[in-house]
Amino acid sequence: MSAAAEQAGQVKRVVVVGNGIAGLTAADTLRGTGFDGELTIVGDESHAAYSRPALSKALLHDGDDLSHELPSPTHGATELLGVRATGLDLERRRVALDDGTDLSYDRLVIATGSRARRLSDLPEEVTLRGLDDALALRRRLADKPSVIVVGGGPLGMEIASGCLAAGSTVTVVSQGVPLVLQLGPHLADVFTAAGRERGLTVVETELARLERSAEGYAARVVLDDGTVLEADLVVTAVGDVPNTEWLASSGLVSQGGPLTVDSRGLVRPDIAVAGDLAAFPTPHGTRRIPLWSSAIEQSKVAAAALIQGQEAPTLQFQPYFWTEQFGLSLKAVGYLPVVGAPAYVDGGPDGPALMRWAHGDGTAVAAALNYRIPIPRLRRVTQQAA
Amino acid sequence: MRIVLDRERCEGHGLCEEAAPDLMHLDDDGELVLDREEVSDDDPAAAARANGAVRVCPVAALRIA
Repeated sequence: MSAAAEQAGQVKRVVVVGNGIAGLTAADTLRGTGFDGELTIVGDESHAAYSRPALSKALLHDGDDLSHELPSPTHGATELLGVRATGLDLERRRVALDDGTDLSYDRLVIATGSRARRLSDLPEEVTLRGLDDALALRRRLADKPSVIVVGGGPLGMEIASGCLAAGSTVTVVSQGVPLVLQLGPHLADVFTAAGRERGLTVVETELARLERSAEGYAARVVLDDGTVLEADLVVTAVGDVPNTEWLASSGLVSQGGPLTVDSRGLVRPDIAVAGDLAAFPTPHGTRRIPLWSSAIEQSKVAAAALIQGQEAPTLQFQPYFWTEQFGLSLKAVGYLPVVGAPAYVDGGPDGPALMRWAHGDGTAVAAALNYRIPIPRLRRVTQQAA
Repeated sequence: MRIVLDRERCEGHGLCEEAAPDLMHLDDDGELVLDREEVSDDDPAAAARANGAVRVCPVAALRIA
């Protein structure tokens, strides 16, 4: 018996808290590592795990009812869905649940993700984070309401694109040019121009706040210069907040903050953390990278480390990001945003393009705009000499 | 086990190729090619790679039959 299999044999019971792609991948990886004991997954949504990136893309744009569905799990875990973890006792190794029960574990995976950051407590403020949010938004769009999207990041712009495609008039309220903070000026200009061509209105402001509307509109958006915008529907997409409140009394996390993990995704030898709530070491400092491929890579490493300890490999992660909006499709690998003009590896400014930017530290970003390319090839573009 | 591709859904991300490079690849046009559709249950490492490839697809274009 190998050392890893022997270690796996000593672990009888693993609990995974969180049933998103991180929790699901962790469960799969535990099985792949040889863990054949009792596995329990706790998920606060009643849905099976789904693809979150699809919610603001195909599901919103094409009315595609299946785009978010994932193949059924094969990990054979006991799934407790619609149940929320409320507390963690590190000494007794128990997770408390909101149905009054608790679960004991030998090893624990924390993958409770994050939620939409809100600008107000108003029920009129709509956010898009989960499947129910996406289905509700899609129903609202059937009436072609006028829409204000507060937040010019990738999610806000995907939502704006979906709302435009559904026939709504759409205004995006953004800190500076939309996407400039996330992607850099070149790509931000490309996407913002494509949005404007399709009828998008962009309003730039430093600050925006939401107030209840008196006049039958959903809510008022008040800009830093006092301008008031109103629409039938106000959607905000202003970032995400790690779901770590249930860990407050455990001492693992400071209030409202992420969970900071080591290079294998561990916070203790018996606890792994993966997904949008985890801040992990990167070449650009310890930070959260709330992306699909990030959740998957973190989960693989963390679940293996939970069984194999220091023998398990550390996380070697190069971000992969993609977006679809206003008829454009972008895939990018490396650390965004990028400054300056790209070098064109293939194509040019007026059509499908394969682009590269070199960072000062020797790393690079490769981006494919309306350009079909496998990710392994895109990664190789980042490795080529400039 | 058998790997099944829904070509209509595939967006050519190629994350599956990273997970299971011996089982599938994207060709020069970015179209996914399954190099091996059948994976023997006697080969648990290959089966794990196949499952990993299916899981990583953000548009669920792959499944195991």
